[in-house]
Amino acid sequence: MHFLRSRLAALSLLTAVALAPACQRAAYVAKPALAPVTAQPVGKALPDNATAAATIAPYRQQVTDQMNQVLGTAPVAIGKNPGESPLANFVADVQRLRASQALGQPVDIGVMTNGGLRAGFAAGPITLGSVFELMPFENELVVLDTPGPVAQELFDYAAKIKMALSNVTYSVGADGKPSNILIGGKPFDPSKTYTVAISDYLATGGDQMTFFKALKPRGTGLLLRNVIADHIRTLTKQGKLVEAKVEGRVKAL
Amino acid sequence: MNRRDFLKHSSLGAASLGLMGLSLPALARESQGARLTILHTNDMHSRIEPFPDNGGEWANMGGMARRATLIEQVRQQEPNVLLLDSGDVFQGTPYFNFFGGELEFKLMSQMKYDACTLGNHDFDNGLEGLKKQLPNASFPFLIANYDFSQTILAGAFKPYKVFEKAGHRIGVFGIGIEMAGLISDKNYGATKYLDPVATAQAMVQQLRGPEKCDMVICLSHLGYKYESAKIDDRKLAAQVSGIDLILGGHTHTFMKEPEPIERPDKHRTLINQVGWSGINLGRLDYVFEPGTRRPAVASSAVLPVHTA
Repeated sequence: MHFLRSRLAALSLLTAVALAPACQRAAYVAKPALAPVTAQPVGKALPDNATAAATIAPYRQQVTDQMNQVLGTAPVAIGKNPGESPLANFVADVQRLRASQALGQPVDIGVMTNGGLRAGFAAGPITLGSVFELMPFENELVVLDTPGPVAQELFDYAAKIKMALSNVTYSVGADGKPSNILIGGKPFDPSKTYTVAISDYLATGGDQMTFFKALKPRGTGLLLRNVIADHIRTLTKQGKLVEAKVEGRVKAL
Repeated sequence: MNRRDFLKHSSLGAASLGLMGLSLPALARESQGARLTILHTNDMHSRIEPFPDNGGEWANMGGMARRATLIEQVRQQEPNVLLLDSGDVFQGTPYFNFFGGELEFKLMSQMKYDACTLGNHDFDNGLEGLKKQLPNASFPFLIANYDFSQTILAGAFKPYKVFEKAGHRIGVFGIGIEMAGLISDKNYGATKYLDPVATAQAMVQQLRGPEKCDMVICLSHLGYKYESAKIDDRKLAAQVSGIDLILGGHTHTFMKEPEPIERPDKHRTLINQVGWSGINLGRLDYVFEPGTRRPAVASSAVLPVHTA
């Protein structure tokens, strides 16, 4: 692309000395002769092209097989709801666990919003397809080294919507302000820096978490979807069911 | 006045030009022989199969095997077809998660795409992920304002390509959106973003000048229109003279018909974008007429073309 830059300079010189705009030198002019429909719908009326269909078929088979693969079993549905939800608790806990394994150090807090989770797990078998529906985004698991004052903003944000955080309990009064914040059972210390396991989407200010934007995320190289799928596989290997519940991480005063 | 009325109204200008001395039948005859049919897509987002039949907004729409049929139908009727895409081929269905864009590129190659530009999501598996899939694409990627020279993709893409179609030289170049803040840093690495306006101006000079093109097309992933100062297809058309057609993407805009943007120097650029996910195939037909010193009149006719 070095050629481009030098050419750019040469060409701007050329433009400066040219008497007439270059477009008028062309021998021919292209004139639109528009069809009545310029956005032609690709709908049911069109049959499949045989070559394309044959090319797609083996890929479709692999996608279908993998999507139907059963990773684990939920004895009870794991759903989401405003405030503390079983689904957000499940995902935020998994994030904290896997981030801690990936970085080889304890991670204090796990954060996942209800909005970041698209669908819960029904009771019964959980397939890879179910995990794709839960997490269709290509979000990466990252860790934020969060100074106390920024963590306070996170708690303020959470308290307003009574959102739960992994490894944190707090109370919230009628004023919507958090109090009695405990992290790993210990009182929140605003002078400390806390590690937070979170998606890169939220870490960069998604869902109005603008207070995180100034922090530089540490990447884990792990896609959140794979983290969740792998965790369910691990539970199954250990003979465990997939369970999560509301357990009073947020206490309304 | 809506855009189509505007175009129709302008065709009266061509009619009066005929009365002023040029023979209209002669014009029509010459036009007939040199029609170029441009087919285009944008933001297909790995939508290999149609949207599921689940009552959703786009239920049953799209599908690459159906698009291949539609393209084949047009090719049987039209000798001069250019098939182009404006980026974001990648991301959106498990086909991308599982196969990284392999099937998308294979199908586009089978459909004989002539060129494609890069969208931000085409970086979703990083420069390595894009590089890995390039052998599956038999068509070139055109991108003039990304400098890959310090990356593993150095030399992989061209800024423009000239196609000989309908007896004319058609110059096509690509323009990408600013990466910072949109694509995660590690996914574009040392790729440099160059100013779209300056780059497009240089492209037009190159294509209209040394390359002797009769038509210049920009494949853009800038986006159709932003209220802010952010560069978009409409601003590009207004700031750069000499682009006949901008085929856009990124904003997933469904345009019923192309929008003309006329500059003070009377050069007119058409902008078109056809939604996303291969729900539509864009079709724009062009005829070529002898050059004129008054492009404002000469570039305004509309000839109805009957579709299948």
